[in-house]
Amino acid sequence: MPANIDTILFKDIDEPGLNTREVYERRGGYEMLRKALKMEPSAVLDEMLASGVRGRGGAGFAMGRKMSFIPKGTMDKYLVCNADESEPGTFKDRELMQKNPHLLIEGIIIGAYCIGASKSFIFIRGEYDYVADILDAAVAEARAAGYLGENILGSDHTIDLVVHRGAGAYICGEETALLDSLEGKRGNPRLKPPFPAVQGLYQGPTLINNVETLMNVPVILNMGGAEYAKIGTETSTGTKMISISGQIKYPGNYEIELGMKTRDILFDLGGGPLEGRTFKAWFPGGSSSPVMPLTEEVLEMPYDFDSIAKAGSMLGSGAIIVFDDSTSIVDVCYKTAHFYRHESCGKCSPCREGCNWTEKMLVRIKNGDATPMDLDIIESVCNQIMGNCLCVLGDAMAMPVSSMIKHFRPEFEAYIEAKREEAGFGVAIPQTNRGAHAGPGPLLQPAQAA
Amino acid sequence: MPRPVVKEITFTLDGREITAPEGMILVDAAGKYGDTEIPVFCYEPKLGQPVGACRMCLVEIEGIPKLQTGCSTPIRDGMVVHTQTQRVHDAQRAVVEFLLINHPLDCPVCDKGGECPLQDITYGWGPGTSRFIEPKRHFKKPLELSPLIAIDRERCILCYRCVRYSQEVAEDYQLVLQQRGAASYVSTFDGHPYVAPFSGNIIELCPVGALTSRAYRFRARPWDIEGAGTVCAGCTAQCNVELTVRDERVLRVLSRDHSEVDDGWLCDKGRFSYQAVHAEERITQPLVREGAELHPASWEKAIEAAAAALKKAGDRAAALAGGTTTNEEAFLLSGLLRDKLGSSHLATGVGGEQPLDVVRALADPKLQATVPDLEFAHTVLLVDCDPIDEAPVWDLRIRKGVRRHGTKLVVASARPTALDQNAAATLRFAPGGAEGFLVALDAALSGDAGNLGGAASAAGTNATAIQEFADALRAGGEEVVIVYGDRALRGSAGRALLNIASRLNLANVANAGLLELPSTPNGRGLREVGFAAGHGPGFSTISAPGHGAEAIASGLASGDLHTVWLHHVDPLRNYPNRPAWEKALGTAQTVIAVESQLTDTVREYADVVFPAEAYPEKEGTITHPDGRVQRLRQAIGHPRAASDVPGSGVRALWQVISDVARELGHSAGTAIAGAVVSKRVFEAVPFYNGMTLDGIGGRGLRWQEHATFEVEQSDPFVLAVPASLPAKGESELRLGTFRPLWAHKDVDLSPALQFIRAKQVVELSKADADARGIGEGDRVEIGNGTRIPGTARIRAAIPAGSVFVAEGIAEHNANVLTHGIVEVHRVGPGSTDATSIPIQSTPAVEGRAEMPPSAGLPIPPREVT
Ligand SMILES: Cc1cc2nc3c(=O)[nH]c(=O)nc-3n(C[C@H](O)[C@H](O)[C@H](O)COP(=O)(O)O)c2cc1C
Ligand code: SF4
Ligand code: FES
Repeated sequence: MPANIDTILFKDIDEPGLNTREVYERRGGYEMLRKALKMEPSAVLDEMLASGVRGRGGAGFAMGRKMSFIPKGTMDKYLVCNADESEPGTFKDRELMQKNPHLLIEGIIIGAYCIGASKSFIFIRGEYDYVADILDAAVAEARAAGYLGENILGSDHTIDLVVHRGAGAYICGEETALLDSLEGKRGNPRLKPPFPAVQGLYQGPTLINNVETLMNVPVILNMGGAEYAKIGTETSTGTKMISISGQIKYPGNYEIELGMKTRDILFDLGGGPLEGRTFKAWFPGGSSSPVMPLTEEVLEMPYDFDSIAKAGSMLGSGAIIVFDDSTSIVDVCYKTAHFYRHESCGKCSPCREGCNWTEKMLVRIKNGDATPMDLDIIESVCNQIMGNCLCVLGDAMAMPVSSMIKHFRPEFEAYIEAKREEAGFGVAIPQTNRGAHAGPGPLLQPAQAA
Repeated sequence: MPRPVVKEITFTLDGREITAPEGMILVDAAGKYGDTEIPVFCYEPKLGQPVGACRMCLVEIEGIPKLQTGCSTPIRDGMVVHTQTQRVHDAQRAVVEFLLINHPLDCPVCDKGGECPLQDITYGWGPGTSRFIEPKRHFKKPLELSPLIAIDRERCILCYRCVRYSQEVAEDYQLVLQQRGAASYVSTFDGHPYVAPFSGNIIELCPVGALTSRAYRFRARPWDIEGAGTVCAGCTAQCNVELTVRDERVLRVLSRDHSEVDDGWLCDKGRFSYQAVHAEERITQPLVREGAELHPASWEKAIEAAAAALKKAGDRAAALAGGTTTNEEAFLLSGLLRDKLGSSHLATGVGGEQPLDVVRALADPKLQATVPDLEFAHTVLLVDCDPIDEAPVWDLRIRKGVRRHGTKLVVASARPTALDQNAAATLRFAPGGAEGFLVALDAALSGDAGNLGGAASAAGTNATAIQEFADALRAGGEEVVIVYGDRALRGSAGRALLNIASRLNLANVANAGLLELPSTPNGRGLREVGFAAGHGPGFSTISAPGHGAEAIASGLASGDLHTVWLHHVDPLRNYPNRPAWEKALGTAQTVIAVESQLTDTVREYADVVFPAEAYPEKEGTITHPDGRVQRLRQAIGHPRAASDVPGSGVRALWQVISDVARELGHSAGTAIAGAVVSKRVFEAVPFYNGMTLDGIGGRGLRWQEHATFEVEQSDPFVLAVPASLPAKGESELRLGTFRPLWAHKDVDLSPALQFIRAKQVVELSKADADARGIGEGDRVEIGNGTRIPGTARIRAAIPAGSVFVAEGIAEHNANVLTHGIVEVHRVGPGSTDATSIPIQSTPAVEGRAEMPPSAGLPIPPREVT
């Protein structure tokens, strides 16, 4: 990180009263909005493009490019801030919004100005009610100060902002389901294309970004896109909020420069494993990311979008969940599947039925009523979910579950045997019967089986 | 509005080059042009945009890493598609396996078995075995989704079709998915029964046996039945249907999708009232009155009796026709009266008769709009009619245009319509004010301020409202379709309509024009074949015009007319002014009735009764309001009388009329086969010339597309301001009537539809209700002298001073009220029995008050795991 910056979004985050306009302005708040209004929207967009900042909500799509997809011209356009933050292990947006709501509001106004939207929304998960109250208060302050509403800061731009509380569904974090929910419908994902940038909220072009992404907007404008791009790695620019949780000494939110070594994150920031334990595995980017064993090699991996992708997982929302050797991977697998089964919206068949089926098989494993060939079925079901669903919620179950089976198969098999013993089912079905159970595959003749 | 133009492109499908229209959805293009079936469940273009829910249609497209849903991918030039790779096969097998894991596989007892897309796709694309050994999802089964539809939630594959239909086609917004994920199930939001005018369509949409017709359940399996295509004659929309026939019984009615007639939908009346065909009450043999009683008689005797009466009557004979009367029957009957007896006392409708020049001008092919125009026009204007009641599928068509093509709807009516919610402008005038409105609208369009004010106040509205409405009508664009009921055509209304059409230049704009809603299903056909007082076949002039309906009634009552032939029509039920008709039929020397059941009219007044054919028994043609001549084809044999006397059963009506003609010595009016009569009709009506039954076939022929019909063009008519509506006192209300969708004798005879039979409702404004202390659902009486009871229904969109009651219903029919000015008072509170509240045919128009009453919550789903 350049020497003069050590944290960006977390700078003075604990300063008392930062959530008020007064303190925020004292620290230079809303200056960037004034600056932006003096620029052409396309000049603001250029800075965003130059910064290379990628979405912080999960998919990691370059924000500037997404903004550039929004059609020009006058029409009803919208900006929506995704504050649904429902991914297990993710809790960064909460702290950011709670402690520095005005930075988000400023980012939203600049973003809306840039794409020409006059209506913007923060879709916040219903459980964050108290955070929504803070946002509401901050929005009222911003409106009173003329940052929001008609003719903001004396310009001829009208930008309004509504804080909308979700009703509590993970799927409503998915951008198109979020839009349906915001329109007052059942929160189900929509078919893409058309992408929201072309046809989103109320059929109008809509920019949807995560809280953290939008908070970077004033920062980028302040530094200049090119300067911002110097932070982090070439393809993963900037800093990233990470939420560390699980079996680790110092869980919590940290801001890191992208490209930091995993070992430094887990040992320097996180303080390493609990007394007398060793790290076993982690979710590098929220519960939807494929689980990786924490090997020496992985500990050397730089924490950025592309390095993690190359290693077979994903950075996602930056939520790191760590397990140590005291945890059964089967339990983790079951809990993950259970969560996604419960949150599947039910619109598309592979996700609805696949998650349901996978969970049921894992329940059987836990009850001692399974055999190792059930692991094959789980893997095959996960394979048929991945890439075949309407949105990626199905993949979000299939990826971690199948990665756990892939990396920890011996542990699963041992678990199955042990549970069968316990349940009095005896040893697992001899491997020769496999075909009969595993569905279409060569069925062995009884003679061969014997 | 421009309809899509298409350009041909070439794409590669499994290694073959296929040429197809650009932008066509891949599954359609593959099926139609590439002879390759890509399996689908949720895809149904009639429901609007694809949703990509079931994932059955996954295919591989080169250049895109993920498999793509063929149901949402438009084809592009040069696209390379693979549907037969291992990857695609694996995905398809997986989706079938997923769909089946919670499906009960109770095909042997499922109605859908044998005609089930899920079964077919499982055989074609499924894995053949399942690896799923966990307990399945369980729901209580089957449940009543409504009195007409059973829902078996275990069988449901959650394809969303029914829900999308309810929300995006019928727009009744009643069906939703409850819960989420694998626990999702289809339901209404609060569990009330799904009662709506078009609910039955979801049965056909459901790709599995989850939604079944309660009237059809367990009646037949697909291998027991035959399909017979014909046209529903239940109303003037004339939807194309396929009847499911087993052992000479109609067991079901399905849509025979015709995009230019019905767009593939049916209303519940058309779908379920087939039960009347096999009702116990059907008359199956002729009856002749001897003394005071009607007695079964042989055909010979009945025909003789009818012929004798007609002979005595001579030019004092009259005939009324309606219902399912075919062009052939109307042609023969009108020919018999006019050519043999010298009488043109022929009436079909309840509207005021218009002069022949107006009738001809309104039939000008250049002014004729079509059903698809309702969807694509810039603006649709409804004049004093509500399609939901009179031609229900048009209601869906208009909704579709508004929703998907931005068609602008403007409504001018006395009674609020079901489409008001979708309208860009609505105008309310007083009941009976249609003529004044049309004259005023003409004045507004032509800038005649003098007439505008006078006519507007004659319509019970004001000049500003009419002017604003006229501006809204003009603002949308040049393609305007005007839909009007023939009942609106009184006095100078026809001329005003023609003026409006010429001011909007409709004759010279393609896809624009007029569309009439006749008050009887084949109203247009009857008129065109010459069943009219004022003209012969093809609107030809005749030497001695006869009486219209009102004059026939008074003629019979005064003894000027002698005998009346009621062909598929019961004036005591379907015509206004019941007292006048009671007197007329009571005084008539002979009443000859063609009727399907012993109605009170028949029992009391008929002297000779010929059993009526039901429409599935008929062979012949009828003409759609937009000029499409369609074929009724016989699906089942005529019912036999209970006795074993040969030839005693119901006979074809063309044959009956022909036999009467022979008896009267009118050889020109006899025929030896129905097809011969059709041929004669095609020859007699100039613009039907050249048509053949084969040519009409299953899709019909619009005569305007094949023939010419020259109409003398005239300058706009100079119109006088119509007389003001009669004055009403402080406490009085102006009476309007409407014919509910369910007011049909076939509905009365269909067991499945009993729950929705039209009962008398008194619709009034909030202000008038409050002034009389009337609450929603209260029992009230309405009338002036004669009174009828009804249930009060308060509608926000009714202006104070107007009140509406139902006509055409079996009991307490509005036609006993003969004064246009009435009083309403409260009799008592409504019954607390929820089932006695009349279930409304219209979807929620003005909010919850119009929703059907809620029943108890359904049994909640139970998850067994
Ligand atoms: C099932 C599912 C849940 C999601 N939940 C969230 C969420 O809670 N918060 C979020 O910011 N993005 C979430 N996303 C990602 C959004 O769809 C979208 O990619 C993101 O809001 C875009 O913003 P960004 O470009 O700033 O990351 C979710 C995606 C999926 C598929
Ligand atoms: S009931 Fe039928 S149409 Fe409705 S979602 Fe289920 S399978 Fe689809
Ligand atoms: S048919 Fe394509 S997803 Fe259902």
